[in-house]
Amino acid sequence: MEGFPLASVSMLLPLVGSVLIVFAREEFSKWIAVLFSGLVFVLSLLSLFFFDFSKADRFQFVEKYPLIPELNLSLHLGFDGLSYLMYILTTLVSLVALLWSTRDHQISHRLKEYYIWFLLTETFLVGVFASLDLMVFYVFYELTLVPMFFVIGIWGYKLRLYSAYKFFIYIFVSSLLLLLGIVSLAVQHYRQFSKFSFNYLDLINNQYDLTFEVFMFLLFLIAFAVKTPIVPFHTWLPDAHGEAPTAGSVVLAAVLLKMGTYALLRFNIGLFPEASVFLMPIMVLWGIFSIVFASWFTISQSNVKRFVAYSSVSHMGFVVTGMFLLNAEGLRASITEMFAHGLTSSALFMMAGFIYNRLHSFNMQALRGSIKFMPLFAVLVAITGFSSMGLPGGSSFWGKFLTIVGAREYTLLLAFLVIVGAFFSAVYVLYLLKTLYLDTKEESRLVHFTDLRGFKLTAFLLVVFPMFIVGFLPFLFFAFYDPYIDSLLKYLLSRVAGG
Amino acid sequence: MEQLIRIEIPNLWLLLPELVVLITGFALFSLELLYKRLNHALAISVSLVGYLLAFLLLLFNWGIEGETFYGLYKRDEFSNLMQAFMLILTMALLGFNYLYYKHRRSLYGEFYYILSFALIGGMFLVSSYNLVVLYVALEAVSIAFYILTALLRSDFNSKEGAFKYLMLGGLSIALASYGAGFMYLYSGSLDLRYILTHVGENHYFLVLGLVLFLIGFAIKIGAVPFHFWLPDAYQGAPTPITAYMASVGKLAFFAPLVRIMPLVQEHFAYAWITTASIISALTMLYGNLTALVQKDVKRLLAYSSIAHSGYIMAGIAVAEVIGLKAVIYFLIAYSLMGFGSFMVLALLERAEGWENRLEQFSGMRFSAPWLAFSFMIMLLALLGVPPTVGFVGKALVFMSLSFERLWWLALVMIIATGISTGYYLRITVLMFMKEGEEGQHHIAVSTLEKSLIVILSLALVLLGALPIILWNFVSPSAENLFMR
Repeated sequence: MEGFPLASVSMLLPLVGSVLIVFAREEFSKWIAVLFSGLVFVLSLLSLFFFDFSKADRFQFVEKYPLIPELNLSLHLGFDGLSYLMYILTTLVSLVALLWSTRDHQISHRLKEYYIWFLLTETFLVGVFASLDLMVFYVFYELTLVPMFFVIGIWGYKLRLYSAYKFFIYIFVSSLLLLLGIVSLAVQHYRQFSKFSFNYLDLINNQYDLTFEVFMFLLFLIAFAVKTPIVPFHTWLPDAHGEAPTAGSVVLAAVLLKMGTYALLRFNIGLFPEASVFLMPIMVLWGIFSIVFASWFTISQSNVKRFVAYSSVSHMGFVVTGMFLLNAEGLRASITEMFAHGLTSSALFMMAGFIYNRLHSFNMQALRGSIKFMPLFAVLVAITGFSSMGLPGGSSFWGKFLTIVGAREYTLLLAFLVIVGAFFSAVYVLYLLKTLYLDTKEESRLVHFTDLRGFKLTAFLLVVFPMFIVGFLPFLFFAFYDPYIDSLLKYLLSRVAGG
Repeated sequence: MEQLIRIEIPNLWLLLPELVVLITGFALFSLELLYKRLNHALAISVSLVGYLLAFLLLLFNWGIEGETFYGLYKRDEFSNLMQAFMLILTMALLGFNYLYYKHRRSLYGEFYYILSFALIGGMFLVSSYNLVVLYVALEAVSIAFYILTALLRSDFNSKEGAFKYLMLGGLSIALASYGAGFMYLYSGSLDLRYILTHVGENHYFLVLGLVLFLIGFAIKIGAVPFHFWLPDAYQGAPTPITAYMASVGKLAFFAPLVRIMPLVQEHFAYAWITTASIISALTMLYGNLTALVQKDVKRLLAYSSIAHSGYIMAGIAVAEVIGLKAVIYFLIAYSLMGFGSFMVLALLERAEGWENRLEQFSGMRFSAPWLAFSFMIMLLALLGVPPTVGFVGKALVFMSLSFERLWWLALVMIIATGISTGYYLRITVLMFMKEGEEGQHHIAVSTLEKSLIVILSLALVLLGALPIILWNFVSPSAENLFMR
C-alpha cells in the first residue's frame, strides 16, 4: 500500500460525495455525506496497518503532480507521523460533525448546501495536512475559510453575519502575510540555488541571516497566531464559535485551530530553526500568558459556547508553550494536546449544542442542573470535563503533565508558571461541571428531557472513547510522532550549532 | 543614409489577423451604409466570422514572429497572447450585447464597426515599440471607446461619462504625445527600444519625456491621481461596454507599459521603481477605500478596477522578468474577472426596476441561483481567494515584490486587499445569507448568455487551479520581451 494515493483518495471521496449531493434529492444529502465521510474515516483507519511507524519521521504515501514545473510548484502530498495523526483527527471529527448535524435545531433548511460545504471542508482539511508544498498548503489553508464562512453565516445563531465577516477577514488578511512569507522563501531559494521552489523538503535547506529569518518567522507567526489563536489574536474565535452551528464549532475547534498549531510546528520551527531558538523565551512566555488570560476570560463567560471557545484558546496556549520549549517532552506534550483537545472540544461543543436543542439557551444560568435527567449524557460530559481538565487517565493529562516536565528541564520557575496555567484551566472546567451538575433548578421543565441516543450517541462515543486511549495508552500516540520529534530536534541542533 | 533608401516589402503575413479584423470592420460599415435598418443578426454573424477567422489565424501562426513596416510593427508571443484574449473577449461581448441594447432600446448599427475599430486599435497597441504607431493606436481605441460609452443616447449618465472620458482622454493623448516629442528630442528616434537604451546628452529630456508619456498612460489605466474619469465613464457606459473597457481596454492600455518595463536601464531604474511603486500604492489604497463606501455595485466594481490597476502597477514597478510574468498573468486574470463581473451586472440590468443598488443583491441565491454562484466565484477571484486565477495573479505579484525587496509595497498591498475583503464579502453575504424581496430578478436570460457566464466563472477557477495552462503562454512571452 506504500504507493497508494491515500491523500488524494481521501480528498476525492468527500468531493465525489458533494457532487452527488448536488444531483440527489435533499433528504438523501445527509446519508450521502455520512456515507462518504465514513468511507474516508474507515480508509484512514485501514491505512494505519500500512503506515511504517518506525519511519514516522519520513513522508509516506507520497504523491507528486507538477503544477508549474518552472517554479517547482507541485501538488506534492504525503504524511509523516505528525501530519498523519492530524489526518486521522480530521477524518474522525468530520464524521462526528456530520453525524451530529442530523436533527440539530439549526440545521433545518438548505440541507444540500450544508452537507456540501461540510464535505468540501473535509477535502480541504486533508489537503492542508497532506501538503508538502507550501503554496499548495496555503491554497488549502485558505480554502477552508470559504465553507466555514458559509456555515457560520447561513446556519449560525443570531449574530452569525457579524461573526462570519469577522472570521473571514481576520484569517484572510493575516494569511496574506503568510503568502508573502511563502513566496519570499521561494525567492530566497532561487537566490541560493538558482531555482524557485515551494517544496518544504527543498526550503528547509535555505540559509538566512538572522534578521531576515526573524522577519520571515514573524510573517508566518502572525498568520498562525491568528489561526491558532494566541491571545491577543483570539477575538474572532469566541464570535465564530459562539455563533456557528454545533457541527461548525466542532470542526472549527477540533481541526481548524490545529491547522495553526500544526503549521507553527511544521513551518515556523521546521523552516526557521535559528529564529525559533532566538525567540523561544518570548514564545514560551506568550503561550503561558495566553493560557492564563484565556482561562480568566473563560470563567467570566455567561454563554456556554463562548465558554468552551475561550477554553480552547487556553488549551492552545498549552500547545504553543509545549512546542516552543523545543525539547522532546515539550514537543510530545504539544502534539498530544493537539489531538486531545480535538476530542474534548468536540465533545464540549456537542454538549452545548445538545442542551441548546432542549433549552434553547446558551446561558450558563439557564443550564443549571440541566443534565440531571439524562444519565448517559451526564456521564459522558463528566468524562469529557475531567479529561479536558487534565486529570490522570484523561486525554489532556499528558499534554499538561509533559509540558510541566519539559518546562522543568529549563528552570523551576518556568515549570511553576505552567502549573499556574494548568491550575486556572482546571478552575474553569470545575466551574462548568458545578453549574451543570450541582446547581439546582426547577425540575418540571427538565424532567421530560430524553437522553442521548442514535446518531448523537454514536458521535459522542466516537470522541469519548479515544479520550481514554490517549489517557491510558499514550504510547500508542507517541509512536506516531516520536521519530519525528527525534529528527526535528537533531535537525534543530545541527542547524543552530552549525549556524 | 543607407537606411533612408532601404526599401522593404511589408510582410503582410505578420499582420494577417489585424487585416482580417480591419476588413470585418469595413464590411460592417458597408452593411450599415447599404441597409437602412441593419439586421443585427447579420452584423453579429459577420463580426463573429471575422473575429473567429482572425483568432484561428493567430492560433495557427502562433510561432511566427517578426517585424514589418520598417520595424513599426512587431509580432511576438506577447502580442499574440494579448490579441488572442482581446479576440476571445470581443466575441464573448457579442454574445451579450444584443439583448442588453434591445432592453435599453438603444440598438444602433454603429456599435458593430466601432467595436471592430476599438479592437484593431487594441491589437496595434499591443504590437509596437514605435511611438507614432502607439499614438495612432491609442487614439483609435480611445475614440472608439468615447463613442461606445455614449451609445445609450437617451441616457444622461452615458453622455456625461463619455464627455468626461473624452476630456481626460484628450489630456492623456496630449501628454503622451508631448512625452513622445521629448523622447524623440533626446534620441532622434521614435523606437522605444532605441530611445531607452540610447545613452545621449540631455538626459533630462528622456526622463521628462518618459514621465509625460507614462502619465498619459496612467490616465488611461485609471491610476491614482489620474483616475477621475474612470468611475463616471464606467458607470455611465452601457454595461457590456464597461465590461469591454475593463477587459480589452486594460489589456490594450497596459501593453505599452509592459513593453517599456524590460527596457528600464540601470541609470533610471530607481526612478522607475519609486514612481511606479508610489502610483501603485496610492491606486491600491484609494481604489479599495473608495469602493468600500459605494452603494452602487457598478461604481463599486469601477473602483475595484482602479484598485486592480494598482496591483498590476505593483508588478510593473519590479523591472525584472518575474515581475513581467506577474504583470502579464494578472493582466489577463483581471481582464477575465472584470469582464465577467460587469457582464453579470449587464444581465441583471434587464430585471424590472434594477438599479445596481447593493441591497438589491439580497437573496439572489434564491431568485437566480446560477447567476449568484457565478458572481460569487468572480468576486472571490477579484478578492484573490485560492484557487482562482486572481489568487495566482496576486501571489505572483507578491513574489516579484519580494524579489525586488519592496516589502513596504507588499504590506500596502496586503492592507489594500484586506480592505477589499469588506466589499466583496458584503455582496456575497447579501446574495447568500439574506432574504430578498419576492419575485425579484426575473430576467429572461438566453442559453448562450447563461453558458458564457458559467464558462467564464469555471475558467476563473480552472485557470487558477491549474495555473500551468496560462503560465505556459505567459512565461515565454515575458522572457521573449526581456530578450527584445
